[in-house]
Amino acid sequence: MGWISRQFTTRTIVLMPIAIAINIVLGATVQQVLKLPIYLDSIGTILVGVVAGPIAGLLTGVLSNLIWGYLLPAPIGSSTIGPFAITAGVIGLLAGLWGWLGLFRSRRGERSSIPGAIVAVILVGALALYTFSRAYASPTDFQNNTGFDPTTLDQSRIFFLVILVIFVALIAFALFLRRDVGAVYAIGAGLVTGIAAAIVSAPIAAIVYGGVTGSGTDLLVAAFRAGGDSLVSATLKQGLLSDPMDKMITSFVVFFIVGNLSQRFIARFPNGERLVSPSA
Amino acid sequence: MTQRPPSFVVRAPTGTYRSLNPATKLATAAAEVVAAFFLGLWTGPVVVLVLVVLTAFVAGVARRLGVVAAVTIPIVASIMLINSLLYPGATDVIARIGPLAPSISGFLFGLQITIRLLAASLALGVAYLTTRTGDLLADLERRGFGRRASFIIGSAIETVPRTVTRAAEIVDAQRARGLDTEGRWWRRVRGIVPLAAPVVFGALTEVEERTMALEARAFSTPGPRTVIRTLPDSGRQRAVRWALLLGLVLLVGLRLTGHLAVVP
Repeated sequence: MGWISRQFTTRTIVLMPIAIAINIVLGATVQQVLKLPIYLDSIGTILVGVVAGPIAGLLTGVLSNLIWGYLLPAPIGSSTIGPFAITAGVIGLLAGLWGWLGLFRSRRGERSSIPGAIVAVILVGALALYTFSRAYASPTDFQNNTGFDPTTLDQSRIFFLVILVIFVALIAFALFLRRDVGAVYAIGAGLVTGIAAAIVSAPIAAIVYGGVTGSGTDLLVAAFRAGGDSLVSATLKQGLLSDPMDKMITSFVVFFIVGNLSQRFIARFPNGERLVSPSA
Repeated sequence: MTQRPPSFVVRAPTGTYRSLNPATKLATAAAEVVAAFFLGLWTGPVVVLVLVVLTAFVAGVARRLGVVAAVTIPIVASIMLINSLLYPGATDVIARIGPLAPSISGFLFGLQITIRLLAASLALGVAYLTTRTGDLLADLERRGFGRRASFIIGSAIETVPRTVTRAAEIVDAQRARGLDTEGRWWRRVRGIVPLAAPVVFGALTEVEERTMALEARAFSTPGPRTVIRTLPDSGRQRAVRWALLLGLVLLVGLRLTGHLAVVP
């Protein structure tokens, strides 16, 4: 049990409530005020997971949603968030894993990391091409491999491309403007986290709310249902569009937070040694 | 005999429902939420909703519960509209207007989800409105709930309004420096970074100071702490809590084994 208690130093215990507040305040602003089809409610969860470890991340995610859903008064509190505590927990757990693997370490000007980043980009690209050729190339493939109605193919294809474009744009920004190879790993980790989150939350959204949560993502669910999808597949498709996009952006943000905080501050967290560059 | 702490330490809650032990109110809310989801499609949600509204009147929080209910209006409207107009597989479609196909079965499905959602969120709303967070955490800590956990929850609840205030101050400060927050959308998007970054980094710089402050107060020492505030509890309430827990397990068990399929 040592590896669990090691994640909960006083520093982690102090960071967790602040991370929860960041989740809730940013998430409430984006979902309830701006009504964008993304969430941005897991910056704190991923941050804690990365600097402190998987169990701390899991707890931060679960507590964020429970407090947001059930303990805060009306203008901010929103009971629709509560059941998604399960998803938030999975996100935190995965973030802890990525942190342990050192995927969120800033690698500015590290030439030795370039081959690794190229491999990561090629892997993601190959995965995308494979998915595209298997599922989106023709209406029959689409129906056989995803089980969705072939008439919604064009719609899905556009959304698939939107995610790819955002992925490429974030990576281009990181590589050419910031010159930081590490961001490629972080964004890739975000993509995987997003897919996992979508798969976990689709049944929750469908069972608890009939797919409707009162935020901007409802528009997407309505669009898919109008296209003839069943409830679960409409919410899953909404999730597969919103979540990878959201988690890539969130991971990217966390990556820059970790990189821009002082190294001394980061190094004191349980996972600190895997996040600061050895030369610093 | 232990001496009762002075009144400025323990403010006795007034009213019958309010003065119940926080754990009892929490157990009631939990049982109501589970009943709303596990007892039939209509029976559980309707019974729980009626029960919750009655409790709210008895406890004198009906008006404030109305505010909680009002907050769910956007989602309720969304649920009703999308399900009524776009229910897949509906056989009793009334009319077809482009992609929209209003149907009775869709309307009923939306209504069912709405009642269940209202029942569950209002049950928790009553518990929230009649209990102070500090009382709940103090009581849980006395029952052996970890001090770290109660610090995280208590501190998170306090930090949220502080962060909101801080964010508003930052918006004002950046506006004073000429940031456009009300122009066209691409101008507002450009404003996200100068607004969000100070909120996040400002909050994170507090971590260091707070850690020192807590350590100076022996936060991580092992062993139990003496609790000054003890909240009243009774044998009867304890019995009610166990009964609720038992009923809850029974309900979930019956539902999972399919014995409740006959309940509408």
